[in-house]
Order: sequence, then structure tokens, then C-alpha cells
Amino acid sequence: MLVEFQQALADLVESPELCRQIRADPTRLQQKYDLSTREYDRLVKMVNQKAMACNCMLYRANRLAPLALNLPDSCRMLGPRLGPLLSEYSLLYPNTNVHFYLECDRFCRFILGKIEQGLDFDSHARAVFDAEHARIKVGLVASYTAL
Amino acid sequence: MHARRPLVGLLNNPVVPSVIRYAPNLVEYIDVIPDRLWYDFEHGEVKGGRFHRVTGAIEELRECARGRVLGGHGIGLSLPSAIPMDMAMVAEAASLARELNFQWYSEHLSMFLVSHGSVPNSQAGLGLPVAYDEELFDLVKDKLTVLKAAFGCDLLLENGAIFTPVPDTEMTEPEFLNRLYSELGCGTLLDLHNLFVGLANGVLSPLEYLEELNPDCVQEIHLAGGHELAGFYTDAHSGLTPGEVWSWAHKFGPRFKNLRAIVFEFHESYFDRLGLSGIAAELERMHELAQAVAPMAQTV
Repeated sequence: MLVEFQQALADLVESPELCRQIRADPTRLQQKYDLSTREYDRLVKMVNQKAMACNCMLYRANRLAPLALNLPDSCRMLGPRLGPLLSEYSLLYPNTNVHFYLECDRFCRFILGKIEQGLDFDSHARAVFDAEHARIKVGLVASYTAL
Repeated sequence: MHARRPLVGLLNNPVVPSVIRYAPNLVEYIDVIPDRLWYDFEHGEVKGGRFHRVTGAIEELRECARGRVLGGHGIGLSLPSAIPMDMAMVAEAASLARELNFQWYSEHLSMFLVSHGSVPNSQAGLGLPVAYDEELFDLVKDKLTVLKAAFGCDLLLENGAIFTPVPDTEMTEPEFLNRLYSELGCGTLLDLHNLFVGLANGVLSPLEYLEELNPDCVQEIHLAGGHELAGFYTDAHSGLTPGEVWSWAHKFGPRFKNLRAIVFEFHESYFDRLGLSGIAAELERMHELAQAVAPMAQTV
């Protein structure tokens, strides 16, 4: 089914781990999706193309883009912790919100939860984060009334 | 009677007004992404409905539009997706198209939405390649028929930047576009930089592609620049148009007798790198191209 083929392709692009699993055992595709033989063959060829890595990178870059554009200093403060946090966030919220302020507000709330759980943010980093989150909230409120 | 040559313009973004103020005579056309002129609350649970317009951006665009032609360039409908079309978004985009007097409307021949979420919000994250089979042709054809009725203007579809083409398809991409033109009158927005992306990543031969594409299809050209990411060349809209893309434009452009516009795409986050003078120089080069592709000065 075309709809299953497209879903499988999107899932692969979203998950380098799934790509690795399918390369190791392509039959998992048939277990997970309702595919014709042709669709199965196509996906197996595609997942083994070198540039599937590029698709995965671009997917991740596009998920990061609204956060990097609207929360640049917070991203900088998170440094090398940003990558794993973004992975966890993407798993928790697999759908990007096309309203970037909603997406950023959701990410800020996720980070706040992490801080409560012990994510190390010194007072300066916290102030920077709070200031950027406040700007997002202002933008979000404005978007509700921008008619 | 006056000379008819393609218009020269830019893909709209928040810094385009600065470019227009700097070089007003070089920008004749603006490609408008309607999805950037609204906030999409998806399920309409917000007071005022699902789409809240960015009124400031729309007013600024109206100012920029004086004496210029506008066209729509949508990114949200994902026509090749095997899911129902988002009719609320169609209605909103069509409404904007009428209000802003879009002369034509383009969308992408890539898949941006998949089915696992609700229709409005199940982003694939990037434009994914599609399988050029009869099944997809029928699906896209049906949706284009609906769009045509909603918009009431000419429709174009754009070739995407593809890294992993779907293998063993029943049609090539140019064959697919040729058929959309011959059977529906749907034109092609030919993104020459996307062909360059395919060439740089070893998945496409632009010259073969351009020889196969019916030149009558082509009604708009996109130019852009990109950069490398971990060994792959991407359509990042981050730089000036590469030399090879210019050479294809000059070689094949004169064949595109229905060409209406030549557009340079850049992302506003690279504005400082490109600079006003750099963008103006690119626009001047595009005017030379526009003149070169219409040397016979057709009359309208």
C-alpha cells in the first residue's frame, strides 16, 4: 500500500536506528508495514543507499531549526547535551508542530521538566533560558491574537 | 505591444523588503509562501479558528507588491502523500491567493506529510522522494483538479531536491511532469539548483533530465545555492547560484517559451553572508538571463 510505503520511508528518515535494524534484517519491514513486493524491494534498496544518512541528518536539522532560530542562546548553553536531549524530545514528540512558537514552547517545557529532574543549569544559564522562553511566550500570545 | 520576457524576482522572506528598498528596479516578482503568513493552530481549537494571519507580514508584503507581480509557493499541501488533502489549508491558501492576487500557484512534487498523525500535523520533516507510478499520478491528478477549482489560477509543481530516489519507478520525474502538463495543463516550476543537488550527490543527470522534460511545461525557474553537510551537498538556500546551474539556465532557458518568472531563493539566516550587494548582483545576472532567454521579444 502506498500509504504504508510512505509511512515506512518517513519512519526510516526519522530514525537512524530503524535504518540500522532494517539493513541488518530487512524482513522487519514486512512485519511492521503492509507493503507490496515492489514497495518492499524499493525500501530495502533505499535504506542501503549512502544518502539515506543525509535524509536522516536533514530530518534532524529541520527539527532543530525552529529551536536554534528562536532559542539560540539556550541551545548554546546546553552545548553537547543538546544532541541527546533533542533525541529524547523527538522520540517523545515525533510530530513537529508547524507553529514554531508552539514547538519552542513545548521544547522549553520539556527542558523545564529535565531541570526539575536534575539537569545541571547554573544560574546564568537558567536566566538566559528563562529570558528566551519568556520571549517565546510573548510571541505565542501575540500569535493567538494575530488576526 | 511590448516585449514579453520572464519576470525576475525573489522568494519572499522577512528580509526581502530590505532588498527591494535597496534595489527596487531589480525585483519584479515575488514568490510568496502562504504558510509563512499564518500561524497554524491545526485543530481549530483556538478562538478565531485554526489559521491566525500574520497581519504585519501581510501588510509589508502588500507594500512590496506595489508595481510587482505575486505568485504563491505553497509548502504545506504535500500533494503526493497518500492521505486526504488538508481542505482547511486549501481554503486558507486560496483565500490568500485571491486577496494578494497571485497570478499562479506552485506546490512541491515531494512528500512532506505522512499518515501516522492527524492530517494537519504529521510532518515528514523534509521533502521526501516519491514513486513515479500510475498510482501516484492518479492521486496527484485528482488533488490538482480540486486545487484548480479552489484557486482559479494556473498551478505549477516543483521538482524536489532528492538524495535517495525511489528505484525502479514506472515513470521518470520528467515523464511525470510532462504528463501533468499534457493531461491537466499543470506547469513545472523547474528548480535548477535541485538538479544540481542531484548531480552533486550522484543520483541524477541534469542534462538528461532537461532533455527529457517538455520545455513547454516550464513556467518558472528557481535558482539558489547550497552547501555541503557531512559529505552531501544540500539545497540550503545559503549561497549564490553555482556556475553550472547558470550554464544550464542559459542553454535550456531559450527553449522555455512559457517561462514567466526566474526566482532566486535564499534563506534569511544567510542574509548577512550574501549581503545586499551580493543579492543585487545575483538579480542583475538574472535580468541578463531573462533577456537572453527571450531574445525574440514575443509580443503579448
